[in-house]
Amino acid sequence: MSEAVAIRVRGLVTRFGAQTVHDGLDLDVMRGEILGVVGPSGCGKSVLLREIVGLQAPTAGEISFPYLEAEGREPRVGVMFQDGALFSNLTILENVEAPLREHTRVSSALRSEIAALKLSMAGLGADAHHKKPAQISGGMRKRAAVARALALDPELLFLDEPTAGLDPIAAQNFDMMTRNLARSLGLTVFLVTHDLDTLHAICDRVAVLYGGKVAAIGAIEDIVAKAEGWVLEYFSGPRGRAAGRGAGG
Amino acid sequence: MAAEAAFDLHEEGPAQVLALRGDWTVDTIGALEREFAAIGERLNANAVLDVAQLGRVDVAGAYFIDRLFRQGSSGAVSVRGEHANARHLLEAARAAYAAPAAVPAGPPGLAGLLDGIGRIAAGIWDEVVETVGFFGHVLVVLARLVADPRRIRWAPMVHAMEVAGFNAIAIVALLSFFIGMVVAYLGARILGDFGAAVFTVELVAFSVLREFAVVITAVLLAGRTNSAFTAEIGAMKMRQEIDAMNVIGIDPMEALVAPRVIAMLVMTPILTFAAMMAGIVGGVLVCWAELGVSPQMFFARISETVPTQHFWVGMSKAPVFAIVLAVIGCKQGLSVGGDVASLGSRVTTSVVQSIFMIILLDALFALWFLEMDW
Repeated sequence: MSEAVAIRVRGLVTRFGAQTVHDGLDLDVMRGEILGVVGPSGCGKSVLLREIVGLQAPTAGEISFPYLEAEGREPRVGVMFQDGALFSNLTILENVEAPLREHTRVSSALRSEIAALKLSMAGLGADAHHKKPAQISGGMRKRAAVARALALDPELLFLDEPTAGLDPIAAQNFDMMTRNLARSLGLTVFLVTHDLDTLHAICDRVAVLYGGKVAAIGAIEDIVAKAEGWVLEYFSGPRGRAAGRGAGG
Repeated sequence: MAAEAAFDLHEEGPAQVLALRGDWTVDTIGALEREFAAIGERLNANAVLDVAQLGRVDVAGAYFIDRLFRQGSSGAVSVRGEHANARHLLEAARAAYAAPAAVPAGPPGLAGLLDGIGRIAAGIWDEVVETVGFFGHVLVVLARLVADPRRIRWAPMVHAMEVAGFNAIAIVALLSFFIGMVVAYLGARILGDFGAAVFTVELVAFSVLREFAVVITAVLLAGRTNSAFTAEIGAMKMRQEIDAMNVIGIDPMEALVAPRVIAMLVMTPILTFAAMMAGIVGGVLVCWAELGVSPQMFFARISETVPTQHFWVGMSKAPVFAIVLAVIGCKQGLSVGGDVASLGSRVTTSVVQSIFMIILLDALFALWFLEMDW
């Protein structure tokens, strides 16, 4: 149990043809933290996420899950994709039940109860249970997607742009939900985002991807204090300053 | 690996103690679900939960434990023993508890059956009305394009001609060639029994020119091109591209439907012609091999005994089938809803409806041409 690193990335290289996305990237995600990953569009944030969860093989480098491996457990991950990626022919409840149906032996009654519990934790009430993903709003779809990601109680939760396309209030509520879930369930969260408010509000640490490497990592105040170049531009533009003030005041 | 979950309910003085051992996670609880639920009856309201020996626990496990206590009393579970997160998760599970909503049920039994039949019948009627309405809309758009040809979108039209028409020539010709051979074999065998084998030439010419070439072409296009039209337009509908066109002020009827309809109108007669030729060639080969009728004799006999009207009867059906196919394909594409299942069912409907309509129209044509003595 002494191992404190949840995800360890070493010397990661990713190339698509002549284009190098990651160039010897190192990153440690600590157990139980919420790590925000930012960077300019096209810097390979989503690719990094896909490589960590195993959807895509890196060109070179190593990705390991030290603390789970130390305990002899398979890393189990929950992923929320950008648009939710809910199965459109299943109802919301069936969507959350799907991973349980596939991987566990619990009875169908208990399965629906667990799914309902996860939906309730993600802030969705019973009226959404039997609706299809197309029949509910974008914010609710994101919540349902989180519930599905949490269906098997993974230790590692990956969120890809969770607040994109939400109104500020919904985004704030979503952030609070993420933080509460992460804290109460002891989740390690890897959060790819462009939302500066999210970074300030809920991330323990922030990693800035730039030039194929982690350009800076640490608490957001430290990063902002020591920022230079692109990072400075990112955090001290009008939007960055507003988000910083909001979080500070 | 995960330790198996186990429990033990015993009395300690006046109080009941439920001691848990092993890991209680979503992977392990399935194994003792029934067993664990069975002790619910024996458990009294103020039983104590001992988590000292408990291994890992997750939300599903906590919920599973809490469920047993929830049935007995509404108060919080009294927990003893040290554990990293068990108390916490039990509270979280209790706080977030929500029963799954009941599945909305339709009327049962016979009423349900009748209800279903009624819905299907009403659905068919709606579909007919919608398709006829869409057909009218297409005619209006085509008329507008004829009046103002600058609005015709040539690039998508030529593209549709190539994909839907030109690329299908080989397969249409091959199929028709085989049909021509089959008809010729049948003629040579059955007419031969009456000593009328020489009429095989007429049989091949009549059937291929009047019916087979155009029907084979249309059925093949229904499977090959209609499904593609429906899937293309349906996927655009799902991705809100159609909405985007409407907002920008591009009429999807003009930009998507009209080019496809015109492409089909142009290409189906050409494909039908290719199918006729291939079918006749199939017949010629069989007549030559089986009956010793040389190609020269075959064609001489055709020009002598088979009037050109048969050719025109076949060709006249091609544009009608073309417009029916294109209209059904595009209409079904535009009717796709937001989910994947509707895309699948619309493509199916598109193909089934168009083949149905082709056979139906062909029967009506046959009746009409017969009455007209053509």
